[in-house]
Amino acid sequence: MLSYVIRRLLLIVPTLIGITALVFSIVAMSPGGVGANLVSAEFGMRPAEREAMRKYYNDRYGLDRPYVVQYLKWLNKVSPVGFRAAGAGAGGGGFGFKRPDLGESFVRGRSVAGLIGESLPITILLNVVSIPITYGIAVLAGIYAARNRGKILDVTSGTLFLGLWSFPVILAGVLMIGFLANRQYVKWFPAGGLTDVLADAMPFLPGRDASGAWQRGWLLDVAWHLVLPVICLSYGSFAFLSKLARGAVLENVQSDYVRTARAKGVGERDVLMRHVLANSLIPLITVGAHILPALITGSVVVEQIFSINGMGKLTIDAINTRDRELFLSTTLVAGLLGLLGYLLADILYAVADPRVSYE
Amino acid sequence: MSSQASAGAITLPPDRDARSLGPAAAEQRERLSAEPPRSFARQAVSDTFRRAGARFGLAWVAVLIFCGVFAPFLANSHPLLLKMDGHWSSPLLRHLTPADVVLLVATFSIVAALLARPVPKRLRAIAALAVIGLSIPLAIVFVRPPETVVFEQYRQAEREGRVQSIVRAPVPYSPTDYLRDSPEVRRTAPSRQHWFGVEEFGADILSRMIHAARIALTIGFIATGIAVVIGVIIGGLMGYFVGVADIIGMRLIEIFEAVPTLFLLITFVAVFGRNLYVMMVIIGLTSWTGDARFIRAEFLRLRKQDFVQAAVAAGLPLRSVIFRHMLPNGITPVLVAASFGIASAILTESVLSFLGLGLVQEPSWGGMLNQARAAGGNFSWWIAVFPGGAIFLTVFAYNLIGEALRDALDPKLRGIK
Repeated sequence: MLSYVIRRLLLIVPTLIGITALVFSIVAMSPGGVGANLVSAEFGMRPAEREAMRKYYNDRYGLDRPYVVQYLKWLNKVSPVGFRAAGAGAGGGGFGFKRPDLGESFVRGRSVAGLIGESLPITILLNVVSIPITYGIAVLAGIYAARNRGKILDVTSGTLFLGLWSFPVILAGVLMIGFLANRQYVKWFPAGGLTDVLADAMPFLPGRDASGAWQRGWLLDVAWHLVLPVICLSYGSFAFLSKLARGAVLENVQSDYVRTARAKGVGERDVLMRHVLANSLIPLITVGAHILPALITGSVVVEQIFSINGMGKLTIDAINTRDRELFLSTTLVAGLLGLLGYLLADILYAVADPRVSYE
Repeated sequence: MSSQASAGAITLPPDRDARSLGPAAAEQRERLSAEPPRSFARQAVSDTFRRAGARFGLAWVAVLIFCGVFAPFLANSHPLLLKMDGHWSSPLLRHLTPADVVLLVATFSIVAALLARPVPKRLRAIAALAVIGLSIPLAIVFVRPPETVVFEQYRQAEREGRVQSIVRAPVPYSPTDYLRDSPEVRRTAPSRQHWFGVEEFGADILSRMIHAARIALTIGFIATGIAVVIGVIIGGLMGYFVGVADIIGMRLIEIFEAVPTLFLLITFVAVFGRNLYVMMVIIGLTSWTGDARFIRAEFLRLRKQDFVQAAVAAGLPLRSVIFRHMLPNGITPVLVAASFGIASAILTESVLSFLGLGLVQEPSWGGMLNQARAAGGNFSWWIAVFPGGAIFLTVFAYNLIGEALRDALDPKLRGIK
């Protein structure tokens, strides 16, 4: 198991290089190429000024270098092992361990690490809230199906879940904002963002302020803002997982070991919870590997609909402005999260099912 | 049960046959003899479409195909027949584009080829392909719709009383007719004139939806077609050669699976501009990994089987071994994946259009949905519900077909019913 994990961790490196190289070459092939946005700001400049600005950007970001060199230089900069910059620190020059540096955004003039540090927690928050809800409902649906086998709701549930899974997130998001966060209809929820404008002034927990008026507090405010985005992010996957859970539970209920358990007098509750459920979780864990990247991708759309400033919005902006350092780094982070998700799912799979071995 | 098995093992002579063919092979032989292999595909298809879900899905796709092919006749500002100032004309036919004409010719030749039963199958196929192939250059050369289009002229002429008689399309508005003669109609709810309402810029929503059916259909089929072709080739090579090819292919699959597809698509579309064909190719290029995995697994199972070994031993070329002998036996999981793939390609296109990265000129369901909440705090439900509902029904239809197909093809479920 350990050697398998180590091998998988080592394989992450070439895969990440492949992903970033792919994205870099796409942008490099585009008309105008990398950094086209910087040069497009030169309307109405005199030739000398334009020349000076080009020279400045070329010196600063190396935009006149061949694309292969640009990519390799970036790769060297972000990797923890590589050639040290000539004048840096006491060591200076040479090859060895160094501090990885994500560089500075072309357009925003800020460090990429800082930008990602602001956006990533928001996307992770969305996903961390969605995943337990998704799995919780899926497991409940599976148990319900097993208890009420053959009844109308169980028989139609297959089609219902498929329908829910097919329901486009963009439609769900637009309808929810339109009907539930709109003064024309009902304004139960905020239409966008993650916190209220005044959230910074709120106390952390809900309570009454000095004048005795009710205040919802920061925590409740964030939760209130999260309701609609989290529903949007999770209903598709819980429909998918519920379908899977129902199938798994029904398959296990008919198996020999359940009959044995019932025959030896195990209570119905224990049969379901301890025997059937544990075995039915295995397929749910396996698809977890695909749910996680899908959630990260899904949050691009949800962040756009609900104007939440997460990784998705940052990436779309970075690509639209051809901001080399920023889009390469967001791709790196998104790719890394996806790969770690796959690995985590594989490990959990082996933990949940003792028959699985990676040796 | 177990005592029987062990007794069988003792009495059975330890010959080569029994060892090389396991119980699985014996079971398969039994199944094959009970059920001739030729009828498998046909039976699976008939099994599939006996299900209500698949029937609904197929019916909806048929409606879409009808809308896509006959879009200019269903929704058009130009009247089909017009008697103005004393003489007859057909502005609708005059304004057909080469693409409209090719699509109509293709549809009619395919229908004719399917109906002409007495003619040999191969001849019908060649004739249909020849007609379609010829129609493309001819349409490009000879079909020249007028470049400037004035949609308002007919309504104005009618108001002035110059029109003696007129035959309109069922939805008398073109998708790009922004009703400049009646700006007050913008963003109005469904009415008798505009069944599905009017969008932000004044175009009729139903008309735009009918024309957008083309995009949804073509993007689903072509993107999935590209994905299946790439997946079959890469997965086939991996499963057949194993070893180094398998390791390299697997890394390639992992790279493509780890790239967030939507990010890659956004990169491509933002960088290369909004082109339907580019979009199809990219969706195809990024969604082949599942197909490749399925084909690889099937080929790993097939490559040591006797019929493949025999084909190799007979000296058949690699192309023949892979595509004629192995592929027909391993394609079924890909068919199911392709059906789900069409659904997800349509969904992806609608998301891209929704994010404002779709086509600008052509109407698309996702792009229309985006307008519902564009202006201020006003929400016009009809702009969201109808195009969004069309996306939902289409995706649902393909998923229903895919599921029915999977149930029909799954050997575990076969026979149980």
